[in-house]
Amino acid sequence: MSCDLSPPAASNKLDAIPYRATGQFMASQTAEAVGARLSPQIDSLIRAAQKGDQVAFETLVRTYDQSVLRLAMNLLRSPEEARDVYQEAFLRVYRNLNTFRFDCSFHTWLYRIVTNICLDHLRKRKVRKEEPSVIETAEGPVDRMDTFEEGSAEADPERTAWNRQLRARIESALQDLTPRERMVFEMRHYEGLRLRNIGEILGTTEEAAKNCLFRATQKMRAELGDFI
Amino acid sequence: MNCDSVLESIPLYFYGELAPPQEDEFEEHLHACPACAREMERQRAFAAALAGRQIEPPAAFLEECRHALWSSIDAGAAVERPDWRAEAPAPPKAGPWRLFLEALADTFSGLERFRVPVGAAAMLALGFVAARVTTPTTTAEPAFHAVRSVEPDGSGHVAISLDEIRRRTVTGSMDDRNIQQLLLAAAQSDNPAARLESMGVLKDRVESSSVRDALLNAAAHDPNPSVRMKALEGLKPLSGEPDVRKVLSQVLLSDDNPAIRVQVVDMLVAHQADDMVGVLQDLMQREDNSYVRMKSEQALKAMNASIGTF
Repeated sequence: MSCDLSPPAASNKLDAIPYRATGQFMASQTAEAVGARLSPQIDSLIRAAQKGDQVAFETLVRTYDQSVLRLAMNLLRSPEEARDVYQEAFLRVYRNLNTFRFDCSFHTWLYRIVTNICLDHLRKRKVRKEEPSVIETAEGPVDRMDTFEEGSAEADPERTAWNRQLRARIESALQDLTPRERMVFEMRHYEGLRLRNIGEILGTTEEAAKNCLFRATQKMRAELGDFI
Repeated sequence: MNCDSVLESIPLYFYGELAPPQEDEFEEHLHACPACAREMERQRAFAAALAGRQIEPPAAFLEECRHALWSSIDAGAAVERPDWRAEAPAPPKAGPWRLFLEALADTFSGLERFRVPVGAAAMLALGFVAARVTTPTTTAEPAFHAVRSVEPDGSGHVAISLDEIRRRTVTGSMDDRNIQQLLLAAAQSDNPAARLESMGVLKDRVESSSVRDALLNAAAHDPNPSVRMKALEGLKPLSGEPDVRKVLSQVLLSDDNPAIRVQVVDMLVAHQADDMVGVLQDLMQREDNSYVRMKSEQALKAMNASIGTF
């Protein structure tokens, strides 16, 4: 089969987002934007994969998996757990692709699976009261995921220490959110998904997603008080 | 907008989630109110503080995850029974829906074990027939099946005659006659998964008389209730036609599965006709499932007919 899956030259979605927020989107190409742009190709990939075409399934995975892994890594701040989420999510997609009936976008369907798995991880963590991302060292709290960041070395030691404290405080503030608030915040702030789409993914209304985002923002800002 | 509503709307404004008229009002207020403007600045500072946190998965890590996924799929992890039960919504506490759902659960309780490999199984079954009529797109290594004869020629060579089984996968449009023939063949195969899958595809092609016959045949005679249910789905648009109604009436009075009978009642009452009254009255005489009885009773009442025969 021949599907043109070259990356889109520019994201229409991002062009449409007001100037004040664009600077925050690290994920400049969300899976939603890619999926929307390539919708006819994605549909044919899904149909081919549903008929057992392994190459089509792999292409489908490769179209979305970077954003899935990014979401899991940034939510869970643990490479091991992110890898588990990735594996579990795409195995579920593989097992259940035959049940996908095109009554929502594939992106929404996929993200329902991913967010369910991530929410399970976050809830289990809450029960166990784990905070796996921040560990205490002789130099203060350190985010384990720093090892994944490129160019994080800072020349100014004072600045480095301040940044480290800020990051630790941010992680702590994020840990204090409920799993659902955490999910909505991550998908809206970092992944750039619209609240309507987030509501659809989480099986709730846009209004409920708005309220969740509002509560998350308020809690975070209160927690970071003297840093901002 | 007043200060309270502006403060509440700051995150939504920041993320571009306010409707345009609200956005205009918000901005007007912000120009006139230094306190709210400061709050907006704090929101921007908050977002800026979060900016350095996002991590992009390194390419090597992504490749490692992909490799692990392909390995799991190759090793067969993907065909393990999926565990969706934990996420399934709780059943209703009481009422007719509960009865219906229980009937459905009984019907499909044995189906889950082959739900996952259904695509592969159907493809396999189709593959055997397909080799004769369509061009294969992929072929598998032939599997040795049976040796028919062994003939040494006396010079150190031997001629062995054997049978091979070769699996082929064909792909093609649903409009392709050969594909349609394969699906009709699969609808009568021994493999219930292949029958179910082919019903799922054929049910959208009821304009063809051979497809219609296959659906009627499956609805009345297939031993697997899921296949019968799928065939009934396909017959829904035809449930007003006399020959289809005749088969549906027979199914209603003979099928041992309550979920199937519920489905048939729904299909028959969608087109109210005199022939329905006698069938439903017959059903009331013998029906022991309370939900099916309730459905039939409602239908008879709607037609101003008596529940029993006198």
